[in-house]
Amino acid sequence: MSVLAPLLREFTVPPAVQPAPKTKTQKPAPSIERFESIVDDYQRRLYGFALRMTGNREDAEEIVQDAFVRAYRALGKMLPEQRAELRLQPWLYTITLNVTRNRLRSKKPTNVALDALADPDALLRESNEGPAQPEAIVERDADMALVEKALLQLPMHLRAAATLRFIEGRSHPEIAEILNQPIGTVKSHVHRAVRILRRILGPQIGRIIPQGANLHALS
Amino acid sequence: MRCREVEALWDELRSEGMPSLRDAVKLHLLSCPPCQELYEEYEGVAFCLSSLATPEPSCDLSKKVVEHIADMRIKSRIDPVQLATVISPIGKLYVGFKENRITFIAICRGEGVAKICEQVEKRLRRQVVNTDPPQWLLDTITSFFHTWKFDDSHVDLSDLTPFEQEALKAAAKIPPGEVRSYTWVAEAIGRPKAARAVGQAMARNPIPLLFPCHRVVDSSGKLHDYGYGIEMKARILQMEGYRATKP
Repeated sequence: MSVLAPLLREFTVPPAVQPAPKTKTQKPAPSIERFESIVDDYQRRLYGFALRMTGNREDAEEIVQDAFVRAYRALGKMLPEQRAELRLQPWLYTITLNVTRNRLRSKKPTNVALDALADPDALLRESNEGPAQPEAIVERDADMALVEKALLQLPMHLRAAATLRFIEGRSHPEIAEILNQPIGTVKSHVHRAVRILRRILGPQIGRIIPQGANLHALS
Repeated sequence: MRCREVEALWDELRSEGMPSLRDAVKLHLLSCPPCQELYEEYEGVAFCLSSLATPEPSCDLSKKVVEHIADMRIKSRIDPVQLATVISPIGKLYVGFKENRITFIAICRGEGVAKICEQVEKRLRRQVVNTDPPQWLLDTITSFFHTWKFDDSHVDLSDLTPFEQEALKAAAKIPPGEVRSYTWVAEAIGRPKAARAVGQAMARNPIPLLFPCHRVVDSSGKLHDYGYGIEMKARILQMEGYRATKP
């Protein structure tokens, strides 16, 4: 088995978002009475997802607000047993995705959106008063902006699959549940998304991988 | 395994399940340099995506959402729907209203008023208060059964989604005694592919009769369905003067 180890050595990508521990003390069924804590728990990851899907901060915030309002209304209409069986996280992602789809359908993404994402400040989340950034970090920001732009060039269904898989760190079955698609379709969409991104990013991928990572671990 | 088959399984290497599949993929990759090269590029893309910064929403996003929802809660409590019973040519109606606008109509099928209150609370997310029908309400309903039209200053769809509102307003443009298809409504609101969503909006219509979801039918002309049964749909259409044309 040890001969196989290098395969996973450098490129095993940890999930971007830590999955919730599986065996925690059982949480109460989601309800509108404790909706504030649902908002606190999920706003950041839903915002991240909406931003990757739209490439626009304002749109992403509005989408998240709209998604929470819809979730609140839907929860209010559910029977207790429906709420007890509800898988909150995938459900919230699904609502966010639906709101995103509706929004993008009526509003084509523009270059303005891409420019907003290319803003290194937005990426770094650091104030302008902060210390001057080393050149390497500035370069890295530009590279990350390229990745974000490339992601936005994907058709929406592939972008959703790739975002959920690699950025949100969701498993295939979870993505299948969120997108309401068979697992095989999800796998194929993830794969196609990567193929297209590989083509768009081309040789730049090598530059983005941090130095020291062995690109030819198998040879 | 062939290269193409293995390529479709690369993502398995980062999954926890199916160790035998993972081993098969690893074995193939170790013995196939062209696949190795492509696989490394694939993992490079995955690495790039997972390296993207986790964006932070503005610090007041959570506050905005919570405030909006608190507003909705207050609105629901301080602005309840009043519910009155009105006798009409098709039987007893439960009519919900706020100020001088109708927000809900249910045709009585023998269920008690408690059941109807529950329906209103669920559909409009508002508390319900029972009351006697005011004169404007009686006039609106009486006038509707004479003219099959209504004054839209006496209805309120604001608790519905924008799409539902548009679909119902488009349906209200269908002349009495005539029918149109779900696709027709979808096209009328500029969403030609949304015929199924129009069907959903009609099914969830909180003000049937006035917003005439009964005038919306299959594209083949079949009456399709109605919340109060297809016989009731046929009966209302017949009262309006609709004569089905046989295909």
